[in-house]
This record gives sequence, C-alpha cells and structure tokens, in this order.
Amino acid sequence: MTEVTLSNVVKFYGKHKAVHGINLDIANGEFVVLVGPSGCGKSTTLRMIAGLEDISAGEISIGNRVVNDLPPRERNISMVFQNYALYPHMTVRENLGFSLKIASVSEKDIIIAVDAAAGILGLDQLMDRKPAELSGGQRQRVAMGRAIVRHPDVFLFDEPLSNLDAKLRSQMRVEIKKLHQKVGNTIIYVTHDQVEAMTLADRIVLMQDGHIVQVGTPLELFNEPLNTFVATFIGSPPMNLVDGVVVGTDRINLGDALTVPVPLSARGLVRDGQKIHFGFRADNLMPVGHAVQEEGEKVTLELTVSLTEPLGTETLLFTNVAGTEVQAKMLNPRPVRPGEVLTFDLMLDKCHIFDAASTNALRS
Amino acid sequence: MIRRRLPEWFILLLPAIIVIATVVLIPLIFSLYSSFTPYKLTRPSTLWTWIGTANYEKILSDGKFWAAFGRTVLFLTVVLNVELVLGLGIALLMNKVTWGQRTLRTIIMFPMMFSPILVGFQFKFIFNDNIGLVNNVLQSLGYNVALPWLVDGKLAMFSIMFAEVWMSTSIFAILILAGLFAMPRDPLEAAKVDGCTPWQSFRHITLPFLMPFIFIAMTIRSLDVARAYDIVQIMTGGGPARRTELLWTLMSRTGYVDARMGLANAMGYVSILLSIVFTIYFFRKLSAARAELGMAG
Amino acid sequence: MQMDNNLAHRNRTHRNRKHVLKVLHFTALFITMAIICIPGLWIVLNSFRPTVEIMAKPPVWNPTFTLEHYRAMFGGAGQGGVPVLSYFRNSLIVSVTSTAIAVLIGMSGGYAFARYRFKGKSSYFVGLMLFRAVPGVALSLPLFIVFARVGIIDTHFGLILAYVAMNVPFTIWLTDGFFRQIPKELHEAAEIDGCTRWQAFWKVEFPVAKSGVASAAIFAFLTSWNEFALASQLTRSVGSKTMPVGLLDFTAEFTINWGGMCALAVLMIIPALILTFLVQKHLISGLTFGGVKG
Repeated sequence: MTEVTLSNVVKFYGKHKAVHGINLDIANGEFVVLVGPSGCGKSTTLRMIAGLEDISAGEISIGNRVVNDLPPRERNISMVFQNYALYPHMTVRENLGFSLKIASVSEKDIIIAVDAAAGILGLDQLMDRKPAELSGGQRQRVAMGRAIVRHPDVFLFDEPLSNLDAKLRSQMRVEIKKLHQKVGNTIIYVTHDQVEAMTLADRIVLMQDGHIVQVGTPLELFNEPLNTFVATFIGSPPMNLVDGVVVGTDRINLGDALTVPVPLSARGLVRDGQKIHFGFRADNLMPVGHAVQEEGEKVTLELTVSLTEPLGTETLLFTNVAGTEVQAKMLNPRPVRPGEVLTFDLMLDKCHIFDAASTNALRS
Repeated sequence: MIRRRLPEWFILLLPAIIVIATVVLIPLIFSLYSSFTPYKLTRPSTLWTWIGTANYEKILSDGKFWAAFGRTVLFLTVVLNVELVLGLGIALLMNKVTWGQRTLRTIIMFPMMFSPILVGFQFKFIFNDNIGLVNNVLQSLGYNVALPWLVDGKLAMFSIMFAEVWMSTSIFAILILAGLFAMPRDPLEAAKVDGCTPWQSFRHITLPFLMPFIFIAMTIRSLDVARAYDIVQIMTGGGPARRTELLWTLMSRTGYVDARMGLANAMGYVSILLSIVFTIYFFRKLSAARAELGMAG
Repeated sequence: MQMDNNLAHRNRTHRNRKHVLKVLHFTALFITMAIICIPGLWIVLNSFRPTVEIMAKPPVWNPTFTLEHYRAMFGGAGQGGVPVLSYFRNSLIVSVTSTAIAVLIGMSGGYAFARYRFKGKSSYFVGLMLFRAVPGVALSLPLFIVFARVGIIDTHFGLILAYVAMNVPFTIWLTDGFFRQIPKELHEAAEIDGCTRWQAFWKVEFPVAKSGVASAAIFAFLTSWNEFALASQLTRSVGSKTMPVGLLDFTAEFTINWGGMCALAVLMIIPALILTFLVQKHLISGLTFGGVKG
C-alpha cells in the first residue's frame, strides 16, 4: 500500500511562503509529475516528501503512515537527483550497492541486487569505473540504478533529465517510462519541461507560485485547461490567446473587424461587454488544403504569414490575428514565402474562452 | 645583431634564489661541514679539524639525545593527532552555523596569530603552580592541591602539549572548514535517502572527501612544527632537569650554552631530517588522496 | 492503532532529538570559543591588576583596576629597566622592512611560477618549499656563526636579511596561487593594446592580485613580528632585540612581575589582533587556493 497523501502542506522559508497549503492524493503505482515554471514550489514539495526539507505545516503520509518528522532513511523512498549526486570516490558497483551495505545486507545478496539493477539499465560494462569517468547519460543511469536497487515504496525524481542534451533526454524519457512499466512502483517526478510531463505522467500536477493550479491526466490538461496559465504552459507551441470583448450573448469582437461566435461549450456563461481571452492552438488554425479536418464549425480568415519554421512533417507559420501574433500549423507543407497571404480555417469547436480578469476558463 | 638575454622567468626568480642561497643554503652547507668538526665557539681554530662522523656517533649513542628525540617524536605525534581530531570537530561544528560565521572564523584565527612565545607565556602564567589561573580556580573550588604543572615531568609535557594544541588546532579547523564548504551537497542528501545515519554519512561520504584537505593541513603543520621550540623555551626551557627536553631545546643548549657548535649542528641536521620526513610523508599521502577522489565531481 | 501510536512516538522522538542536538551544538561551540578567548583575556585583565592582587593567596576574584604596569612601561626606562619601547621599535622596523622586501621578491618569484613554463619548475618549487621545513633553531646555529664572522650580529640588517629569506618561500607560494587565478587573457589583451610586458603587469595583473598580495604581506609581517628562534641568537643588545626576545628576557629576569609581563604581552598582541581582523577572509582563501589547487 504505497499511496502518498499531502494534506495542507505548507512551507515557509523565513517569512517567505514558498508552498501554500498543497493537497494531493497519489494512488499506488501511479506516475505523477509535478510540473511548473522555476520557483513554483515543485522541487520544494518533492523534497518535503523525501524528508530533505522540514514541513512548516500540514501532513504528509506515505502508505498510511504519517512521516512528517521522520528522516529520509525511515520513509522507504529513493530519489534520483538533478545532478545525479553520485559518490565520487566509489566505483559504479559501489555506488549501486552502497544503500544495501548500509542496511547490512549480506555480500551475496548485494551482488545479486546490484547485478539485476545494472542489467535493467545496461550498466554491466561500467561497473568498475568511477563517476568522473562516465558521460552524463551514463551517470544518470547509475543514479537511477542506485534508486531501484533498494525496491523502495516510492521513487522520487528531481528534474533528472535537465542536464542532458536534447537527444539523450528523449532517449532517457523512454527508459524511465519502460522502467515504470516494468517495476510498477509509485513515482513522483518533478520537471519544468511540459513535454516530459505529457509523455510520462499518468496524472499531471501543474503548480505555480506554490499553489496547485490543475491536476489531471495529460489529455485533460491539454483539452480542458482551467485557466490561461495551464493553457499556455501545456502543449507546444503554446496556445494562442487573442484579446476580445463579448458582444451580445453569442459573439466575440476580436478587433480589426473580426468577430467570432462564442464556442458551444461556453454558451450561456458569458455576458455582454465581458472582456475575454480567445484561445486556440496552432493545430486549430490551418491553411485550407493543409489541415486535419475540414468539417465542423469554423471561421475562414485571410492571413499574412510573417515567418515560417519548417519541422519536416509540418511547418509552423507565424501570422497575425487581430493585432496579436499567433502560430498556425501546416500539414503536408509546401514552401511558403514570408509575406505570402494564405486562406486559413479556424476550427471553432476546439477553441477556448477565458475571462480576462480572472483568467479562468469559461466552460460548461 | 642578436643579444643573448637570460630567460625572463630566471630574472624574476633570481632575487629569491640569491636571498635563499645566501641566507639558507650556504649556512646549511656550512652547518653540515661544521657537524663534521669539533668546532667550539670558544676555540675557533677547532673549525678546521676534520673528525668525520664522530659527532654523529656521539649523539646517536647518547642516552640524553635519544630521550630528547623520543620525547620530540612523542610530542609531535600526540599533538598532530589531537589537533586533527579537535580541528575536525570544530570545523564540523562551525559548518552548521548559519549566522555569525565571520565572527567565529575570526575568533578561531586568534591563536594562529599569536607569537609562540606569547602563547607559551600565556600558559606559563596560567599553569603557574603558585598564582596560575588553573590552580587558583582549583583552590577556590576547594581542592587544596597546588599542581606542579610546569615542574612534574608528566604534567609539564601535558602543559606544553596543551599550549601547542591551543595554538595550532585552528589551522586544521580552518582548512577542513574550507574543505567542508567545497564539498558538493548532493551526495550527502543521496546518502540520507540511501539510509545513512549522520555518522554513516560522515564516515563514508564526508571523510573521504576531506582527506586531501586533512593532508594539506598535516603537510603545512609539518613545515611549522619547530615553532614548538619557542613555546617550550619560554614555558620550561626544556626543564626542569631536562624533563621536557625536546630535540630543539637540547640543540640550542648544546650550541649556545655549552658552545659545542659542531655537535649542535649535527643535532640540527637530525632535526631537519625529522621535519622533512614528516613533510614528505604527508605530502605523499596528499597526492594519493587526491588521486583517489579523481579530483573531480 | 498500535502502529499509529508507535509512529507518532517516532516522529516525536526525532523532533526531540533534533532539539537536543541543537542545544548540544551551541554549547560545544560556546565552550570552544571560551577556551580560545580566555587565555588572551586573562592576560589582558591581569595587565590591569596591581601585582599585590595577582600574587594574593588565597586568590582574589574581584579585580581592581590600575595602570601602574603601563605607566612603568611607557615611562622612563620601562619596566624596571626593560626598554619595552625599544623592543617595540625594533620589531616594527625589522618586520615592516623585511615584509616589504619579501613581498617584492616573493611577488616576482610567484609570477615566474604562475606564468611561465620552464624546465625543472616543479623541483625548484619543491626545493623552495622544503627550505621552509628547516627549523628556525637549526638554522640559527650556522647563521649565528656566519653572521658573527661577517659582523652583522646585533644589527637590524642581519635580522631583516634572515627574515626575508624566511618569508620568501611562503610568499611565493601564496602569490603563485593568486596569479594563477587571473586569466592570461587579461595580460594578453593589455599587450595587444600596446603595453610592454612590464606595463601590462602593473596596470592589469597587479591590481587584480592586490588582495592576494595584501594577505601575503600580512602573513609575512606576522611571521616576522612573532619570530623568536632566530631573533634570540642574532640579536644581543637593546639596539636590536625584538619583542619576543624581550618577553623571554623579561620572564627570566623578573620572575614575579606578572603584571608587567602581561602588559608587555598585550603590547605584542595588539598588532596581531588588528591584522587578524583585516585579513580573516583573505587568509583562508589564500591558504586554500594554494593548497587545493596544488
């Protein structure tokens, strides 16, 4: 039984409130990702779960036991650090086996456990090297091996891939996901990279300024963001937001003589004169003939392309809607010259409305 | 036209070489030479007699010399180890302090800045059997004993060791503290998670990392070790009745009081050898420790 | 709910333990600082107590204040004929001069080691360092004989010469470490801008290394100021004896004038204390730069 529960967890650094009353229930075997911009409190929360930081208020339970004042070694957790934190004077083998040695496990059992972990992570060739002789990716795998060798209740990952180059990062993401499928323990993972969050998580916990903004599956956060912060944080490229004013009860004036209907999901939730943000993703604004779907409620616009970013399978087009720079996607791309004018379809059923004052989504 | 110029580094180094050659190298050579003569200050002509290794044989067969030598080695061993342990402890204590670090570090450095003569004087006063602080306190607490801190053989050795430890522990404390500051924190947190008690973290993670710093401190101390001469000279003068005679006080007495310069110089060379042996020993250990760590993250 | 009680108990035990550890930590630090400060403070205190009180048996614990020792020291011939001020003057002259010269020579040598590559560099370095291992006493024997022959016993010059030689190795080591910290590019940029090697040094590298040179200077000064073994043999009369020698003489001559001796000691401590304040930060980094970087 290894659920993790946080009740009203608060953290003060002196007078500064870094974490404001977090409540979170993590189920057994779940892969939960804490994500958010720098300074949002995600690492602090993780370290409080680990026992590396004191809890100023609130309660943390791991598997039904309250662990507030217990030191890390009594919480049955293991952790993978951002900078790997390998023991520099020990070989890979000694690094992996260190925690077992401390727990007075027999030599024989240590060898078995260490070899098993090394096998899973492909470290067999490196066992006698010291950390200084390893590459970044290798060190990361040793750090992970060190974590799994103990079979703890909960794995904690603190931005483990931040120091790796892009290619290595995508490789390691796959490794971590495979590891979870194989070993199945509860994993709490912290990152600032929303791609990692989306690809790895069973559930995402998006944090900002010490608060939890939204909790849900990746697709929930992608398709039903609770406010503009979630909407622009999740998804790449970020959601486009255009300022507008509600006219009547069912139309929105975006400026530049452009009006759009209020999306179905928001009908009845807006009032005349309300200032809103109109949101749509690049996937929802595509040139005619180079789009995903042609059917559905839509608005057709003639827009000038100012910049292109060819990605191969698709091209990102930078253009301007009602005075705001937005990005659009082009499938089956052909070369586009800056300044070219194209006909775009804006699919309305996928659009979102956010109240400008509260930034909250207006959705039924 | 090509003018031959001496390499620049040589010119820059030249003053240093000249000064050291004149004031250290040449006298040392002279000292070596005179150790093979029965040179007495009172009879200058004896400088030109060559008696080979007679002086060395004399001191190596002299019980008093061996007593002083043994006492010196004992003194150094005890003192260096005590300073290491205390210095380590103090560094660990100071490491955890959040505010007032600067004040603490300044206070720690005071003993290092005092002249050894001054340190010796302090403790000569404090350990004085009649009016010293220690005995006065003991008396006021009701123990009517006037402990002969500077007279009894064992107590006197303790007193001079105490003075020396008081003076030089700071060097260890400061260097080890620098090491603690330089240490990456992450492995310590990993150790906490891996199940280490604070003692285990210290033993398996902190201590190995600190070894180079410890050996640097030992090496530096070995260079300076003869400063103890000043302390002993003012506290006990090597006495009473030679109970605290160390190699250096014996040397000084033989040369300046007995005026047997040749013999004294022979002893001098033995003491130089002793210093160098200690220094090289610790320097070797330092290099080994550095290699162990890979000297990288 | 047995497990809950157990767990709550464990949480509480850890909390208590943390608290107790904090108290112990503070106490240990306090005791350590006390042991360090008490001897010095005791000396200072006693320099202001009348001799009668110092010698009192049973011991008197309420101190009375008097300036008699200081008055005796500064007035006339000093403490019963011991010319304290002369000693102070000698120490000052010798220390300042030898420091200035040693720093110049040391800086020059340190620069050579830091910036140039040449054959046998490491052996020069090791040799230089090993000279420092020579005990002052051992060196004083031949120096005494040689200086006596040359006739510079009992002169400021002789002592200054000896101290310069003594301080040069360490100064070289310190300044070498500091110069290595300065990127070569600074110097090269200056040369490209038109400076000669000499000008580049004084305008660019020296200002940056100033704090390092300052700590080397302070260290050299303190070494000279506090030195005893050489001074005790190379000086003979009031004209050149330094304070450490003076203190020893005093204790040998006036065995019960503790108050006076304390006053003398106080006079000796003051420069050391002031300099410690100034150099605290630099000295640590100086020792560790040279040490850690090798």
